Amino acid sequence: MKTFKYIWRNVTRNWIRSSLTILSVGVSLGLMTLLYGFIASQDEWGKEAKKNNRIVVMNVQGFSGQLPIASVDTVRGMQGVDAAVPYSWYGGKYQNKEMPFAQFATDPNEVFNVWPEFTISEEELKAFKENRQGCVVDRRLLAKWGWKVGDRIPLQGTFYPFDLDLQIVGAFDSPQNTDSIWFSWSYLDEGLKQKNFARTGNSGTIFARVGSAEVMPAVIKAIDDRFESSDSPTRSQTEAAFAQMFVDMLGNVRSYIQSIAIAVVFSLSLVTANSMAMSMRERVTEIAVLKAIGFSRLRVLSMILGESMVVTFIGACIGFLIGCMWLQLLNSAIPQYFPFKPAEMIGPWMLTTFVAAAGIGLVSGLIPALKAAQLSVVDGLRRIG
Amino acid sequence: MSSGLPSSDPIVEVINVSKEFRRDQNSIPVLNNVNLQLFRGDYLSLMGPSGSGKTTLLNLLAGLDRPTSGKVLVCGEDLGVLSEGALAKWRSRHVGFIFQLYNLIPVLTAFENVELPLTLTSLSRKERKEHVTTALEVVGLADRMDHFPRQLSGGQEQRVAIARAIVTDPTLLVADEPTGDLDAKSAGEILDLMQRLNSDFQKTIVMVTHDPNAAARAKRTVHLEKGVLVAEPTSVSHSK
Ligand SMILES: Nc1ncnc2c1ncn2[C@@H]1O[C@H](COP(=O)(O)OP(=O)(O)OP(=O)(O)O)[C@@H](O)[C@H]1O
Ligand SMILES: [Mg+2]
Repeated sequence: MKTFKYIWRNVTRNWIRSSLTILSVGVSLGLMTLLYGFIASQDEWGKEAKKNNRIVVMNVQGFSGQLPIASVDTVRGMQGVDAAVPYSWYGGKYQNKEMPFAQFATDPNEVFNVWPEFTISEEELKAFKENRQGCVVDRRLLAKWGWKVGDRIPLQGTFYPFDLDLQIVGAFDSPQNTDSIWFSWSYLDEGLKQKNFARTGNSGTIFARVGSAEVMPAVIKAIDDRFESSDSPTRSQTEAAFAQMFVDMLGNVRSYIQSIAIAVVFSLSLVTANSMAMSMRERVTEIAVLKAIGFSRLRVLSMILGESMVVTFIGACIGFLIGCMWLQLLNSAIPQYFPFKPAEMIGPWMLTTFVAAAGIGLVSGLIPALKAAQLSVVDGLRRIG
Repeated sequence: MSSGLPSSDPIVEVINVSKEFRRDQNSIPVLNNVNLQLFRGDYLSLMGPSGSGKTTLLNLLAGLDRPTSGKVLVCGEDLGVLSEGALAKWRSRHVGFIFQLYNLIPVLTAFENVELPLTLTSLSRKERKEHVTTALEVVGLADRMDHFPRQLSGGQEQRVAIARAIVTDPTLLVADEPTGDLDAKSAGEILDLMQRLNSDFQKTIVMVTHDPNAAARAKRTVHLEKGVLVAEPTSVSHSK
């Protein structure tokens, strides 16, 4: 008989209590996995963005400002820039749902040069360029809404006073779910002109692709210098920095998450410690017998610590699975906030669950284990004597 | 020497042992200047009224507790000077325990319970299995080795406990009212078994009991009265 077998039997001897403990550890560590997974997905987004040599040009005023459409050509003409497109967030309602997916007005002729990692068939791209009201859709979105090429997508403007009547002309494939559709900027702008919208001829942002990562800082500086004294001065940054901006907008999320995690680990330690202490109390005579037979303090100590470690380890495995499942679900439900599947962001962060579990196991097992190790054999045997 | 007089040096020597327990400020004297010798192959029964200190004396012999004054020597080794860790190790090699309430580990099978003391040794898995099987055969329960304690009768549980006590081939077997919780038939079986361990395997046994019939199975009986040892006249020749 191996010691582990004995430990395992002790874990399962009161399986209701053990399961409840395991579940509470599992659910809480699942939450922790989710939170850390969220941080990791933000990091991953930043990393992804670094690969693509893209620059985001915004008005210095940030999201509230706009850029004249002529600036796109200016940017496109600058040294080091391979392609540039206007990129405006439309934010329309579909079937009366607020922001069911992201919609961007852009330039069909250039957009796939700025996002060369996105792929689309020749014919569909041709249709996109030729059809003024055409739109292309992330293939996952197509599946999610059950759309087919040729379907009409009416969108009601919320920010812009012009409703779009789009027709799907194709679907593109992208490394991550973008949850987006792209349509022609000109279609939107003409509609706005008809409605006598005050600020026509503008784009919210400009996305540009440069030849290599090395030239990015120089190009960024050149763009901002070029527009500095214009009516619409710009603030340009790498796509990675742009992504980071969203992360920063979440405030000090990281430290909040860490404090939540510490609180979770702490309260779980108490729960587990209580359950361990209860099962030890029932086993005083048994432990005394083990010590009488010749089990050393260390052996008794490690057996009981082992027991609480096993409980929390199982909890950690369950928690990790639960957390990853949540992340997976969130990735399909709201990919704009969770653009990655857990499998796409494998990294050291995944260990946190297990490190936390080890901490809980040690802390919660330590007091009962020390008590058991210190137990006087004579007193322990007398309990029932 | 299986049935004759014990010979050679005593394997257990209790010399002027006193024991008191402290509770708050008071000290309760339990054993008072006890002297006792046990020889290899001895079978001693320890009788006396409740509270007279039988269990306390047994615990001292078995290295579970230390005397307040005096010495306990087992195989010439002074238990009083051993550290707790050394004492635990010493017990694992030299003492087999039999308790009134069997005290088997409920989550382990009969086989695993008997194997438990062997997990502290360096024996291989195969050797352990041989030892355990032999011990269970001696107590006549080889066919029940996969049963859990709750699936056994009280008498069977006690026999498993005896197998656990003898599996390491200890110097000394201590039994605290081993038949105290059993019916007459099971008690008889346990006493037969213990007698056989003594006569066939030369086990040295100390047994605490309230039952004169049980005590009669031992080679000799001593009485404790209020912490003082009163040897029976027939056994005087064995003590100084
Ligand atoms: N750890 C202890 N602390 C305080 N008093 C103790 C302790 N152990 C034993 N005693 C006291 O010592 C006395 C003798 O106890 P012991 O258990 O040795 O008696 P016993 O002869 O085995 O009795 P019984 O036949 O009831 O088992 C009792 O009065 C008991 O209360
Ligand atoms: Mg007693």
